[in-house]
Amino acid sequence: MNDKLTPKNVILGLLVCFLPLLMYGIDAISLLLSRYDIYLDLPSGDYMLRIVVRAYLYMLLAIGLNIVCGFTGQLDLGYVGFYLIGGYTAGLLMARLGVTYWIALPLAVINGALWGLLRGAPTLRLTGDYFAIVTFGFAELLFRIVKNEEWLIGGPNGMVRDIPPPAVFGVVFNQNWHNYYHIILLLMLVVFITYRLQHSRVGRAWVAIREDEQAAESMGINVSRYKALAFTVSAAIGALGGGFIAQFQVNISAPFFEFWESIFILCMVVLGGMGSIRGAMIGAAILGSLGEILRPGFIIPYQFGNARYLIFGIILILLMRFRPGGLSLRKA
Amino acid sequence: MAQFLEQIINGLVLGGIYALIAVGYTMVYGIIQLINFAHGEIFMLGAYIALMLITVFGIPFWVALPLSMVLCAMLGMLIDLVAYRPLRNAPRLSALITAIGMSLALQNLARMIWSARDRQFPTQLLPTIFQGQNAISLPGGGTLPYRDVCIILLALVLMIALNRLIYLTKIGKAMRACAQNPVAANLMGIKTNQVIAITFAIGSALGAVAGIMVGLSESVTPTMGYYKGVAAFAAAVLGGIGNVTGAMLGGIIIGVAEVFGAGYISSGYRLAIAYIIMIVVIVIRPSGLLGKSTGTRA
Amino acid sequence: MRNCIIILLIVGLVSIWGCQPASKDKQEAQRELKVAVAAPFTGNAAAFGEMIKRGAELREKEINDAGGINGMKLTLIFEDDAGRDAEASLVAERIASNLQILAVVGHFNSSCSLAGKPIYKRAGIVELSPGSTNVTVCEGSDWTFRNLYRDDFQGQFIARYIDEVLTDLQSVAVFFDNDDYGRGLRNAFVEEAEKIGLNLVADEAYERDSTNFKAQLTSIKAKNPDAIFISGLYGQAGLIVKQGRETGITAQFFGADGIDSPDFLTIAGPAAEGTYLTTPFTFGAAGEDAQQMATNFEALHGMAPDTWAALTYDAVGMIAEALEKTYNQEASVRDNRKAIRDHLASLDTPEEGYVGVTGITYFDVNGDTVNKPAYVKIVEDGQFVAADQQLLDLN
Repeated sequence: MNDKLTPKNVILGLLVCFLPLLMYGIDAISLLLSRYDIYLDLPSGDYMLRIVVRAYLYMLLAIGLNIVCGFTGQLDLGYVGFYLIGGYTAGLLMARLGVTYWIALPLAVINGALWGLLRGAPTLRLTGDYFAIVTFGFAELLFRIVKNEEWLIGGPNGMVRDIPPPAVFGVVFNQNWHNYYHIILLLMLVVFITYRLQHSRVGRAWVAIREDEQAAESMGINVSRYKALAFTVSAAIGALGGGFIAQFQVNISAPFFEFWESIFILCMVVLGGMGSIRGAMIGAAILGSLGEILRPGFIIPYQFGNARYLIFGIILILLMRFRPGGLSLRKA
Repeated sequence: MAQFLEQIINGLVLGGIYALIAVGYTMVYGIIQLINFAHGEIFMLGAYIALMLITVFGIPFWVALPLSMVLCAMLGMLIDLVAYRPLRNAPRLSALITAIGMSLALQNLARMIWSARDRQFPTQLLPTIFQGQNAISLPGGGTLPYRDVCIILLALVLMIALNRLIYLTKIGKAMRACAQNPVAANLMGIKTNQVIAITFAIGSALGAVAGIMVGLSESVTPTMGYYKGVAAFAAAVLGGIGNVTGAMLGGIIIGVAEVFGAGYISSGYRLAIAYIIMIVVIVIRPSGLLGKSTGTRA
Repeated sequence: MRNCIIILLIVGLVSIWGCQPASKDKQEAQRELKVAVAAPFTGNAAAFGEMIKRGAELREKEINDAGGINGMKLTLIFEDDAGRDAEASLVAERIASNLQILAVVGHFNSSCSLAGKPIYKRAGIVELSPGSTNVTVCEGSDWTFRNLYRDDFQGQFIARYIDEVLTDLQSVAVFFDNDDYGRGLRNAFVEEAEKIGLNLVADEAYERDSTNFKAQLTSIKAKNPDAIFISGLYGQAGLIVKQGRETGITAQFFGADGIDSPDFLTIAGPAAEGTYLTTPFTFGAAGEDAQQMATNFEALHGMAPDTWAALTYDAVGMIAEALEKTYNQEASVRDNRKAIRDHLASLDTPEEGYVGVTGITYFDVNGDTVNKPAYVKIVEDGQFVAADQQLLDLN
């Protein structure tokens, strides 16, 4: 965290604030040029904006997962479960009960936190990969529930349709730039909270638990309580992301919350460097947009169209090979 | 009753396959504490390699099977050499991400080479014992193909052989030493890297057998490794990760639980029921069924 | 130092990405009309994406060999949604905001079509799905169409066929793929079956990525049904039929359009014999143009086409026809996209419908295809042939 007002930071800040303007500027120019039959092979602004929104969403999730994985040092393979709970709580409340987004989102967060606590209770004793596999089983179970319980969800395959966009006094927020500022606000909130937690008693206790649980216990840290707190906060952040995606996607279904998504977010955390908020954000920025950058037509020619995930895998291997400690840290 | 018997057999066949895959996970984990996500892909490649050997090169099945095992063993060692060895001293999760990347790359490579269509072993080129129509009749109208009997027997034989290998041979002793403490083992003159390579080779060869068995009774697809791999990994953890006997036991339990879950409780939840059992077991016995209680390894 | 390299790498990547040379279209004599085809070319449903791509490529080639669309070249752009709705929405944004693309053929998975729907609607671009059968896909958007029937029609049809034509089948079991397609179809079937009093004895699910169905089949066998309706796709259905016969099931197997593929026959082998299935069309019962298309397809790709290839072939043809009738070089992209939509929406009677290899396609107010007849096929001697008795009038 570097909050100095250096020129670099000011430029970056301005860029972040006015990115949609820049993107829509590109679109306006493209539209103008298209009148004269000139087409730039640039990805359009709206599309890039959507990639950025998704990358920000992944940043938020990675920060949440980082609390359990990075701060307290537990391997969580089921983080997507909380994302799912947030998504379905908000989605069902809004689409089926007509609750407004501004009430549905906090409810989703609360529900997520509750489940985090619930899952935390029996797993407090577990360590390492036994904890990992239980979290995995938990997420898988939730995934099956939304897939199978059609009476609850209202559609096959966990499909919730036509989730209304949030609105204030009749102004409907459904454009990409609305979502852009929306997710930035949520992200800022999450970064602020985790940053304050990290640099407080709580954060120090978490790190102590990560380094040596028994030593921490003997120093008078209530390990169970701090671990439970970590699970709860992390789950709440995951559910927040879920609540956001429900309105962002309009229609959600079970495949959003596959096991792969957990792994993907975990990759971001590890790639950026465990235990660092900045690392989680860097990892999410890279992996969250890599899949799109690797689409044929950008840097990969069309002939190799379907090599996207092959290259993705190789990049993962290479990045870990040369930066095993994560991108944000010095060499381990 | 007839139905119960058939379900037990279904469960054992599936469990045998899970056990064969789970052993690969657990052996690697026991020594380098790595969840080798790419193991499921080795399993898939084993099936594809055998399929190619039989259909393209016209090699008879009984030659193709060991050849595919050898090729997969080499592939396993190659993956270790290229991807995991450089990360031996890195944080443990970095190697995990490498494994995920490897799994992604191999799966997509297979899809690009062989396309995503389901493929079948051509029945007429298989030994008669593996042709599905040759079967033992069961009471109640069902049949038990000799193929499935072979799967169970093969799994059993390989497991016993592996168990003997680990407990009776010199290399097995070296493996156990490395699992206990790689640094100390190294100091005692054991070539750790060599032992790890052999571990990968054995695990991969068993994975290849499992892949071929699944290919014979089901079908060969680029994503087959993912679905079975995840269940097998759960089996390895259930049995106590790092423990070979535990992996076999875990495989059988997950297989039977999956079949009974689907057959008697709810087919929509199939594997989820197996996972619930797994969670309950782990919460009660935090180091798996046969695992020794160890310190934190995160 | 490492940091610098990484940053340089990222900057390099981004700049290569951003600084691609402007399109060379201007220099080419022939003008291009671009249409996107969005389908799962990777991931679990990639087998369908591959057939969709082949069908689309055949049509593209035929159109361009015949001189293009009013002298302009048709260029298809294939976009991969990996069968996952999260990716589908990005693909949708990518296509919708690309000003050169005039229409979309896709997506395949219903969940992907639904994910793209709000984006295509906002941008005003036609989404013509050759594969999404979920009932709700076309509701609530003027821009979404499909050229195949909905789950509910097909489910009803199969229930009625079993009830009215195959009267000696008294009890039916349902075995469905637990995703939007399989479950949607199963819901329609079960609803109709209950209405007409068909005796349902078992209702089991399976997962798309699973390849071992013995557990469910054994418990279905214990219920002793006369017929088993497989509501799913050919990869799994082939295995289900094969494993079902191994399990000792003697019941009649039934399938829907999802199993209409030559791969079904190769996977199931001799066990496929006697399986009934419904399809939107059959290469056997359909006209000469369908046979011709099948021959050309074999020649180009070295394999037989399946339903999805044929439906995509027609979908590309429909868009091409719309372009031929409405495309105006002087008009803006937005107007051209709208003109395609208006043209498709105007195809609302059988007389005006598009005549393709899969029959006559015309739309209702939602954009759903109205009453494409369903045909019943049966597997005989390792071939799909039209069944002796068809049920053409549902009412």
